[in-house]
Amino acid sequence: MQYFVDLLIVGLSIGMVYALVALGISFIYSGLDIVHFAHGEIYMLGAFMGVVLLKYTGMSYPLLLVTAMILTGLIGVAIERLFYRRLTRAGGGYTFAGMGMIICGFGMSIVLQNVAYLIWGAKPLPFPVSFGMPLEFGEVVLPASYLWIVGAALVLMAALHLFLKRTRLGLAVRAVAHNKEIAYLMGINVPLMISVLFGIGCALAAAAGVLVGPINYVQVLMGIGILIKAFAAAVVGGFGSLPGAVLGGLLVGITESLGAGYLSGNYKDIYAFVLLIAVLMVKPSGILGVSVKVKA
Amino acid sequence: MLSIQGVEAGYGSVQILNGVSLQVAKGQMVALLGGNGTGKSTLLKAISGLIKPWKGSIAFDGERIDGLRPDLIVRRGLVQVTQGKEAYPALTVEENLRLGAFVRRDRAGVRRSLEKVYEYFPVLAQKRSQFSATLSGGQLQMLCIGRGMMSEPKMMLLDEPSAALAPQVVLEIFRIIGRICREGMTLLLVEQNVRMALLLAEYGYVIRDGVVHIEGPADKLIDDENVRLSYLGGTVAGRDVAAALRR
Repeated sequence: MQYFVDLLIVGLSIGMVYALVALGISFIYSGLDIVHFAHGEIYMLGAFMGVVLLKYTGMSYPLLLVTAMILTGLIGVAIERLFYRRLTRAGGGYTFAGMGMIICGFGMSIVLQNVAYLIWGAKPLPFPVSFGMPLEFGEVVLPASYLWIVGAALVLMAALHLFLKRTRLGLAVRAVAHNKEIAYLMGINVPLMISVLFGIGCALAAAAGVLVGPINYVQVLMGIGILIKAFAAAVVGGFGSLPGAVLGGLLVGITESLGAGYLSGNYKDIYAFVLLIAVLMVKPSGILGVSVKVKA
Repeated sequence: MLSIQGVEAGYGSVQILNGVSLQVAKGQMVALLGGNGTGKSTLLKAISGLIKPWKGSIAFDGERIDGLRPDLIVRRGLVQVTQGKEAYPALTVEENLRLGAFVRRDRAGVRRSLEKVYEYFPVLAQKRSQFSATLSGGQLQMLCIGRGMMSEPKMMLLDEPSAALAPQVVLEIFRIIGRICREGMTLLLVEQNVRMALLLAEYGYVIRDGVVHIEGPADKLIDDENVRLSYLGGTVAGRDVAAALRR
């Protein structure tokens, strides 16, 4: 029992990390109709940002998390503005420009990896944050870092939800995601909202990077694995659906952890895709996905 | 208030508007008529800033607005009321209305406008927290008109408010448009329902092949042999319809 609970907690916390990255990918997809293939590298940049901030400012962990999110979000905004905007202006999704966007995303991923190599080198860097003693609940012992991941991710998800549902700006972002032309006619500054949207998506990935850093090392290639897992999570939950991304992330994380614990740790990376195939066989649009996208 | 001079525009290399000129005075309702594919929607897009005119000028309130970003044109008080099908289906009725007031920052004023729209359209008040996907065609059109009113514009461009609606609903929508005009709003009414539009408007333009084909005071146009033959399809509107509209 103890073993099962341990696995569940590990799965849940790594699932939250997948969920945050998947949330960013889904959010950007729902708004810009593009699949952002460099999102894993944004996550990597976020983690490095955390390491750098910790080293040079020594700020507290929550403050560090928020600062890294903001800085990485701004980098994301700059990348979108300078490189992607030219392509997305001509259309996303299944259009010709959408295909170009996929290639551009891959290219950006390679560029960002190499920029990171130049700055931080190939050696994994430690992210030395101390969370204090593990917490004990009777039989179950919880390392505080896992609690931090789950707690911070939940807070961020709630904040995103409130932003989208309760604020004027959030309403405008949703309107832009549904239909840009009509949003223009509402007097919304559409290009600005697209920047906001992309920045938020990148900030979520950065948060995932900062959260995962202390339990893992931070290294240049960390984005590749997570991108594929986050895609699996987003597709399992229903691509473009935000609650779906969270649900998919948790399912992928828990499946992976239980699979590694009970079956074999050698095949850890396969379980997520077994889950993906199983879900797609039963419901091709994903668990919370709608088969026909509601677009005005 | 709105002055369009020799506007040419199109998509890609396809020219749709071949020099349209049109005037709307303050407080006036002007009808812009024409069948499918004559350039009505293109002209609306050019006025709203969704496409850039190739040639000519568009002035609103004495200032050039052609080439301006659409949201800046809305901020100047010129708002386009879309067709009902352009409401956001995944947003609630109230969210749709609040989007209409996006350019305003005074909470109390927005609240008052919301109450005003609900007074105009009581059915929207009943359905305020429903997704607009659940609304009927007529209710969607009301929602879009209400959404246009929310920014307290100086002038509204109405894009075929009668499109795909039952005759009884069309009458109701037009009565509301008449009321909005009487309360001092300047309106450009783009319509295929020529008869109704001319009964309501003061002045009319008939557009064909991207140019203004016929123009004149609405009561003259409605009796005009050419307009009747081309667009009215026979008899002039009955007096009962005219009376119903004035009610």
